[in-house]
Amino acid sequence: MKTADIVVVGGGIIGISLAYGLARQGASVTVLDNAKGMYSASRGNFGLVWVQGKGLGMPRYAEWTLEAAEKWHNFSQELTEKTGNVIDYEQPGGFEVCLGEKEWSLRKSELEQLRDEFPGGNYDNQMLDRKQMQEYIPEMPLGENVTGASYSPHDGHLNPLKLLTALITALEETGAALDTDQQVESVAYRKKCFEIKNAKDSYYAKKVVLACGLGIKELAQQVGLNIPIRPQRGQILVTERTKPLLKYPFVTIRQTHEGSFMLGASHEEVGFDTETTLDQMRNIASHAVQTFPELSRLQLVRCWGALRILTPDAKPLYVESETCPGAFVVTSHSGITLTPLHVNLLPKWILEGDAPGGFEQFHLKRFDA
Amino acid sequence: MMEKTFDLVIIGAGPAGMAAAVEAAGHKLSVLVLDEQPEAGGQIYRSVNTTERLRPETYALLGDDYQNGKKLQLSFHQTSVTYLSGTVVWLVESDRTVHFLRNGSTNQVTASRLLVATGAQERPVPIPGWTLPGVMGAAAADVLMKSSGVIPSGKIVLAGNGPLLWLTASRLAEAKAEILAVLETINYSNYLRALPCLPQALLANEFLLKGLRMKSVVRKAGIEVLSGVTNLHAEGEEHLQKLHYTHQGKPRIIDVDTLLLHEGVVPNIQLSSQLGCEHDWYELQYYWHPVLDEWGNTSIDGVAVAGDVGIVAGAPVAEASGHLAGLDTAYRLDRISKKQRDDAAKFFRKKIKHNNAIRPFLERLYSPNPEILTPKEDSTLICRCEEITAGQIRKSVELGALDLNGAKAYTRCGMGQCQGRMCGLAAAGIVADTLGKSPREVGFYRGRPPVKPVTLAQLAKDENETIVS
Amino acid sequence: MLKRYGKSRGKTVSIWFEGQPIQAHEGESVAAALLTSGVKYLRHAQVSAKPRAPYCWMGVCYECLLEIDGEQNQQSCLIAVKDGMRIFRQSSAAENT
Repeated sequence: MKTADIVVVGGGIIGISLAYGLARQGASVTVLDNAKGMYSASRGNFGLVWVQGKGLGMPRYAEWTLEAAEKWHNFSQELTEKTGNVIDYEQPGGFEVCLGEKEWSLRKSELEQLRDEFPGGNYDNQMLDRKQMQEYIPEMPLGENVTGASYSPHDGHLNPLKLLTALITALEETGAALDTDQQVESVAYRKKCFEIKNAKDSYYAKKVVLACGLGIKELAQQVGLNIPIRPQRGQILVTERTKPLLKYPFVTIRQTHEGSFMLGASHEEVGFDTETTLDQMRNIASHAVQTFPELSRLQLVRCWGALRILTPDAKPLYVESETCPGAFVVTSHSGITLTPLHVNLLPKWILEGDAPGGFEQFHLKRFDA
Repeated sequence: MMEKTFDLVIIGAGPAGMAAAVEAAGHKLSVLVLDEQPEAGGQIYRSVNTTERLRPETYALLGDDYQNGKKLQLSFHQTSVTYLSGTVVWLVESDRTVHFLRNGSTNQVTASRLLVATGAQERPVPIPGWTLPGVMGAAAADVLMKSSGVIPSGKIVLAGNGPLLWLTASRLAEAKAEILAVLETINYSNYLRALPCLPQALLANEFLLKGLRMKSVVRKAGIEVLSGVTNLHAEGEEHLQKLHYTHQGKPRIIDVDTLLLHEGVVPNIQLSSQLGCEHDWYELQYYWHPVLDEWGNTSIDGVAVAGDVGIVAGAPVAEASGHLAGLDTAYRLDRISKKQRDDAAKFFRKKIKHNNAIRPFLERLYSPNPEILTPKEDSTLICRCEEITAGQIRKSVELGALDLNGAKAYTRCGMGQCQGRMCGLAAAGIVADTLGKSPREVGFYRGRPPVKPVTLAQLAKDENETIVS
Repeated sequence: MLKRYGKSRGKTVSIWFEGQPIQAHEGESVAAALLTSGVKYLRHAQVSAKPRAPYCWMGVCYECLLEIDGEQNQQSCLIAVKDGMRIFRQSSAAENT
């Protein structure tokens, strides 16, 4: 039997971020997970810190995302200073390419809606035509099908595994416990205390945070929460390393610090299947080559299928159980982008009920209607 | 123009692939054979026709074991099979659609049944300094003699263990190459472990005699032979210059130009893994291999395996297993009855049994050197492509990696162009050792396409064209 | 680091490496032809840019990758020499960072 103030279930980027934040506030924290992470989104994701296009129909989320992006620079510096781990974070601004007029006008109207909805109205994403776009990246000739792109100066990218490594290192320095070789099997609420079990041990805590991605659904039911999340597969392709060619991340194309190009991503509703398929691999390669013909000669060296964790509106879910107070669920498709807020703002909510303004909008209740 | 469907598609034209093709074609199956090399023969008979034609001295040097490949190659070419050389398979889909690259273009065929006959590779030997030019595999040096009639110049040392170490040493000695020493890493306890299997091995004593002959060639050439050598360490700036090792507790250094390392050979399981075939860990020789029935069928319907990719047993067994796979394919596609298959199989099973008699002895005597299964020096490079060290792999376990794929994610180990072919077994050994688990428990790299790299242009291209064969 | 064994070889062909002519023989692999002609290494490692030469000689290790006749990433231990072939070392990702 082991005890902690708070048990965080989930050793991915969201779980470790919360645990780190909680531990920094002085809580005794234990993180439980099975780090083999069959469906680990932290391991499988694309590595974007992304603002543009997010928050359509929910201005609070657009604002939340922007707030996170603005905190990223300092957050990344602090994390590196504290741990000595470099995470390859850069925020040069990012693009989403439009192949053809139809994509361009659709994107344009989305951005206009976002701008109209945005509180204060200072939403600075913009549409660039082909010529303007090429001026940003003179060294990478655009393919003939490129009409233009949307651009946001707030977008960036990083190495998700290096981020996870740095967060784990930072968490370990707080003295928090990480037991990440066993899957959590059950959470029970008794006498205002939670009992969390895996195959080896039982843990007792005053509070429990479920941040284990697709694993949340089953455990949340045991604390009276019905969490509407589903997996959505995205396939990702990675090329051989090459010299630095592309400074800016695109939502589907980015060059990593190591020199590989990462290419994404499909959106497939196939349950928990993480296989790759030739059709999607071909679509992804074709999209990349149409955007930048220069990439044609690069060799594909690996690819994988990873699962996004999506709520019905693809926006984050932050909720405390009413029947089992002290049980929290935190899930978001944008676990990387939101990291600075998850570390710095959510712990106060979890520890003291001190939530940021408008936070109730991220509650489960938005799906009731 | 080439057909787009075949009864049997065989990947690999070594002894197993060629024999299976001969057998299947003999039963009127339509057969396509895809192979990476310019000439059929696999590594054992590599370039046998070219060598005979263009390099008679090398042909004579390589002797009967090599020259015998001509017969099989000839009967292979006399069949009606479609054979594509210089062809790289990069993806096989679950419906047995095989995607391949040839002359820079992608293409595809679909197989009623698929035979993976991709053979074995020499086990990489990650000692400190093994990435220096001048350090390579001993079997690699043998392949080089065959493929190009070329041998190392300057001072040579061979180090490691196994029959192929001695084969290469004896061939290079006969070629009057300047061999300074053969350093056996074999542990004396191996002799004790192997001894009980000796009587069975004597049933196939021609192999033992062959081994003794190779050793005597080396000794007669006046080459120093040391056993129980440890702590191999290659040193040099731009090229190998010195070899450090320990013998009988004493550290020694020699000047050397070429170091040939060998610790046995292991199956090429990239394709069978990508296909999702069930694999098992073979503890005696420390490798993964696909689980097979007595005809070579894998756990995936319609996919069989023949030759060393199933279990490393050498060319004669590979050839016989190719015949078995060919017979079973003919039976399953209704060309012959069950009885015809079983009757015809008897001859090949007898051959396999005879040739396998020596395996328990050899596999115990020549079990791989533990120093290279879990390299101790943190600075030793394990992944040559991404330049990941043993220390970094150990660190990934501290960070929470629980298996080989976890270590890969943390370190990039196995993410380069060779796709884990060079680092997989050693990295798995390190992860297992650090976790205190067996390599079986830490698993192997998940098989994902591409099995070999393709360019984005090749992948993006429409494949609805046929090729001229 | 390598030398030819035996006097009888295939007919002589000329190949070009880094702009310099090299004599080779029909039936030799590109990698073998280069390393018998005084070339000391074929590629630069991707991270450290250190020199590398083939380890496996059978298409497994990818240490023999060269640009051959304008095509990148060719496995030169599997490709036979042809008269007039133009061969270059590839630039390593590491050299440019």
